[in-house]
Amino acid sequence: MNTSYLPSDYLPVLIQLLLALGFIVTTMIVTHSVGPKRKSQKKDDPFECGIPVQGDARTPISIKYFLIAILFVLFDVEVIFLYPWAVNFKGLGLTGFIEMILFMGLLLAGFYYVIRKGVLKWE
Amino acid sequence: MQTDLLCALIPLFPLIGFIINGFGFRRIPKSLAGAIATVAVLASFLTSCFLFGAFLGNANLTSTAGPLKAVLFDWISVGDLDISFSFQIDQLSLLMLLVVTGVGSLIHLYSIGYMKHDEGFGKFMAFLNLFVFFMLLLVMGSNYVIMFIGWEGVGLCSYLLIGFWNTNTNYNNAARKAFVMNRIGDLGFLLGIFWIINLFGTTEYTDVFKQATSLAIGDPEILAITLLLFVGAMGKSAQIPLYTWLPDAMAGPTPVSALIHAATMVTAGIYMVVRSNVLYTLSPLTLEIIGGIAIATALLAASIGLLQNDIKKVLAYSTVSQLGYMFLGLSVTAYTAGMFHVITHAFFKALLFLGAGSVIHAMSDEQDIRNMGGLRKSLPVTFITFLIGTIAISGLPPFAGFFSKDEILAHVFEHNKVLWALGVLGSALTSFYMFRLLFLTFFGEFRGTEEQRHHLHESPATMTAPLVFLAILSAAGGVLNLPGGGWLSDFMAPLFEGSRQVNPEAFAESTIDHSTEYILMAVSAGVALISGIIAYVMYVSRGAVPAPETTERSMPEQVVYNKYYVDEFYEAIIVRPIRGLGDALYSFGEFIIDGVVNGVAWLVRAGSNQLRLLQNGSIGFYVFAMVLSIVAIIALRFFVRF
Amino acid sequence: MFPIVLLSVFGILLLFLGFLKSRAILLPAALLFLLVSLAVNFIDWNKTYLYFNGMLLSDNLSMVFTAIVLGSAFMVVALSGSFMEDESAQPAEYYGILLFSLVGALMMIGFENLIMLFVGVEILSVAMYVLTGSDKRNLRSNEAALKYFLMGAFTTGIMLFGMALLYGATGSFTLGGIRAYAVNPQVGLSLLFYVGLLMLLIGLLFKVSAAPFHFWTPDVYDGAPTLFTAFMSTVVKTAGFAALFRLLSISFSGVYTFWWTILAIITTLTLVAGNITAVYQNSFKRMMAYSSISHAGYLLIGLAALGQQTKQAIVFYSLAYSVATIAAFGVLLLVARQRNAETITSGGSSSESFDAFNGLARQNPLLGFAMAVSMLSLAGIPLTAGFWGKFYMFSTAVERGQIWLLVVAVLMSAVGIYYYFRVIIAMYFREGATAPIRVAPFYRYVLVVATLLTIGLGIAPGLLEGLF
Repeated sequence: MNTSYLPSDYLPVLIQLLLALGFIVTTMIVTHSVGPKRKSQKKDDPFECGIPVQGDARTPISIKYFLIAILFVLFDVEVIFLYPWAVNFKGLGLTGFIEMILFMGLLLAGFYYVIRKGVLKWE
Repeated sequence: MQTDLLCALIPLFPLIGFIINGFGFRRIPKSLAGAIATVAVLASFLTSCFLFGAFLGNANLTSTAGPLKAVLFDWISVGDLDISFSFQIDQLSLLMLLVVTGVGSLIHLYSIGYMKHDEGFGKFMAFLNLFVFFMLLLVMGSNYVIMFIGWEGVGLCSYLLIGFWNTNTNYNNAARKAFVMNRIGDLGFLLGIFWIINLFGTTEYTDVFKQATSLAIGDPEILAITLLLFVGAMGKSAQIPLYTWLPDAMAGPTPVSALIHAATMVTAGIYMVVRSNVLYTLSPLTLEIIGGIAIATALLAASIGLLQNDIKKVLAYSTVSQLGYMFLGLSVTAYTAGMFHVITHAFFKALLFLGAGSVIHAMSDEQDIRNMGGLRKSLPVTFITFLIGTIAISGLPPFAGFFSKDEILAHVFEHNKVLWALGVLGSALTSFYMFRLLFLTFFGEFRGTEEQRHHLHESPATMTAPLVFLAILSAAGGVLNLPGGGWLSDFMAPLFEGSRQVNPEAFAESTIDHSTEYILMAVSAGVALISGIIAYVMYVSRGAVPAPETTERSMPEQVVYNKYYVDEFYEAIIVRPIRGLGDALYSFGEFIIDGVVNGVAWLVRAGSNQLRLLQNGSIGFYVFAMVLSIVAIIALRFFVRF
Repeated sequence: MFPIVLLSVFGILLLFLGFLKSRAILLPAALLFLLVSLAVNFIDWNKTYLYFNGMLLSDNLSMVFTAIVLGSAFMVVALSGSFMEDESAQPAEYYGILLFSLVGALMMIGFENLIMLFVGVEILSVAMYVLTGSDKRNLRSNEAALKYFLMGAFTTGIMLFGMALLYGATGSFTLGGIRAYAVNPQVGLSLLFYVGLLMLLIGLLFKVSAAPFHFWTPDVYDGAPTLFTAFMSTVVKTAGFAALFRLLSISFSGVYTFWWTILAIITTLTLVAGNITAVYQNSFKRMMAYSSISHAGYLLIGLAALGQQTKQAIVFYSLAYSVATIAAFGVLLLVARQRNAETITSGGSSSESFDAFNGLARQNPLLGFAMAVSMLSLAGIPLTAGFWGKFYMFSTAVERGQIWLLVVAVLMSAVGIYYYFRVIIAMYFREGATAPIRVAPFYRYVLVVATLLTIGLGIAPGLLEGLF
């Protein structure tokens, strides 16, 4: 395999990069200039389901949304490990199985902790 | 083995005393605490005596009195450097041991009486013992690291004891000043030690000096080392410019002044120079510098002493001045003479301080000599011992101070006539202010309040007994080293073998003949005597008392009608200029030096204040500073060549 | 290796113990877990193993560092009795996070691969962000946590960037691989390598709070609950220096000439900034924060003058520093709590200022003595462990002939005396109305042990020799 690259070898990459960027930029500029524009106060107002805007957007939200979202991401991502394991199940053998059991055990311990702490209770 | 044990015992006794008193000072009754502390030091003294006897016997048997080394345990080894916790017993450490423990025991005994009524008696005794422990480490250690540990330790104890009466803020400031100045000196000392490690690869005295003898005179590295070590000595032994802490240190209780600031700790600098005599002999330039600083210190302090009215301040300046004499002796390679003066000075200065303490005790904590006078009738023992001390320090024969000071001056004469003349002048000043102090305190009419007169009493036996002992020593201490090759010179000669080897000329036989020597003696004794007589005339015959600070100096018409016209004239011609000079030197010296010291402190504080502002709590600024630093580091590394 | 596994399990266990009704079991359990981990640490004594496919190394040096870290953690946890009295505190979680953070610290001590270093740093740092903000109702604690987190995240980026550059240059994440590249380059070292080295160094220097990356330290140390400040200033610092030492002595010793000047400049800056700024502080806790910066400076001397003695010097210094610091914070905890109780009724100065120590020694001789000994040790007065720590450090500088660095360090240690002695003066020489403070027996043992250790190492510093 050729291990030394000259700068010119990167030319295709550069061209592709420019094309991709150029397409986006061109599209944005073109749509912006081609489309018709009518400005009025009503049109410039923030739109909120047709109801008149009230108060500040930065209101405190319940931490529970955040916690649930984080927990979802956490467990979701960790479950991803199961796929490569399942594919290589035979190759990894008994060691792999034990390791996965440990991993799942830890995950479940965390899950139990979360439940006991009452994070998932909404009220 | 037996010497090892004895060596270990000597510092162990005070340490045990410290532990008992230090942890149990709330529970142990006062009488017992005092006894424990005193017995601890006394036991060290007896052990030292025993060791001394054994050493002498050994020396006579084998006729080669090499240093005994007692290795207690291996301490640390860093790379190639091995430092063991070991003591070196030789002539020098034995002499210092005897002085420290001997005078120390007497002062402990005295403290029992002096501090009897104090609330923190047990704590005081514990600190004193701790001080003795560190002082013993300092003089017994067989390498510079142990000396440094003792050196720091005594500084710490001195700090604790100066600030002992801690209710007064001034006293705390005095304590802190002493500590800061000592630390400045210690830094020099520490750097010197590291330089020694760098150059010789060891800190053991014997090894260092053996290697040093092969170096040439005037070696620049030795010059640097000796200068750095001397910076340490300047701090501890109160030489210009680091002397101003010592007078302030008089804020501590009087036994502390006697033990630490007169007899032992302040002489640590001289001990260190004598210990490193090979190095100093190798560097004549350092010796010249020491000589200059020493004579300047001796004269400056003596002239300031002329005007002080606080009994302890006079003695403090006198100590600074006498330390100058000791260094003067060392600067002309008269190491024996310097040590001799250390010993005699320990006797008479401890005596004077303790005497002053006795006076202060009797006068209900009055320290101003303008409010004393005529005390010789009420305090006979104190008076006689104080008189002996005064004669000794003034250098009048046949008392101890005469011999030691005279030996220093004789060596100086050989070396440099101008220095000698200045030395004699200083001697005259010394005699004057000491007799002035004596006469104002003990002669004339009593000038204190009625209440004080009523309270006047001789001190208890625990206080007078040490005075008597020390008076005997001050009177007879001269026999240790009579002129013309006394016992002490023979005894200490082996210490200076190395020095003699590297610079034989400095140790050549004295070139001045006996008649010159006698003339020199006569001159210095005569000058001292005349100063004493002048003081007598002024303060006893004429009964002059220094004016309180509040009164205006005499108006012209008062001078005309004044029957002491001669006195006034005399004062205008002689006393005024001297006083003016002293005043100027006082304000100049103290102001400049304190100014520099305070200036540095101020600078640090101001810098601190500025740096503090960087910490403004804004995270944007922090990140900005970090990015800037990263850019700076990368720029520095890649775009600046170094 | 064993402590890492055990601590992970114990951490989870502690979280579950928190579900029990009684909180009383938590502290003994945490202490027991730490002791067990400390004991199993020495199983591999005098043997050298590589664990986890060459990711972690276990040798005598790493075990000594582990022991220092675990010992400090043990002492800090032992001082944490006040959690039990605080209603809003969540001790199970605190202890659990502490144990997890120790896993990170141990990974930093024994890493053989830069990835392990990164994971270790992150585990430790994230745990610290959480603990810093654990006093939820205290605004300053919240602010400190946020600051720490933002700046820490920023530095993590830089450190990761450095690692990536190093990988780009050397093609290896292992210490040995990088060393092989640096010692024996085929064509000369690439620029990427140098920039990567600097960035990685900067990342780690931030963690040990070296100037000019120290700005977070005073705010964070001041804002965090005192107990966690003690933990941060001992465990995190020791682990950080162990990691720096490993990195510099193994991978980068071949390019010493490249980095030592930079490190020497940073050392000087750290010493000056830490010591000088500490002088002006009125809060003891803030002073200790600056003091911890200055001690990072002393520790850096050993790295800037990397040589034969550095290993010993760093081990000794971290031990001496950790013991003294924990004792000082231990006393501060008690004094501040007493003060807080008093100020509720009477009102007065801040509970963590120097004034809080006025007259402490009179009523509480033990507390006064422990504090005095630790201050003396931090100031480097002989016959305390701190003196020998400084002595070792200074002699490394002498060995390399870096006299000017030595001069700066010696001068700055003189400045240090000033602010350390303020505490001693306040305790012994000032009048104060401090009532006797009740000290729980176990708490007392910890203080006594710390004090004895400081004095013992000061009298016989040779005790540690030959261990590694």
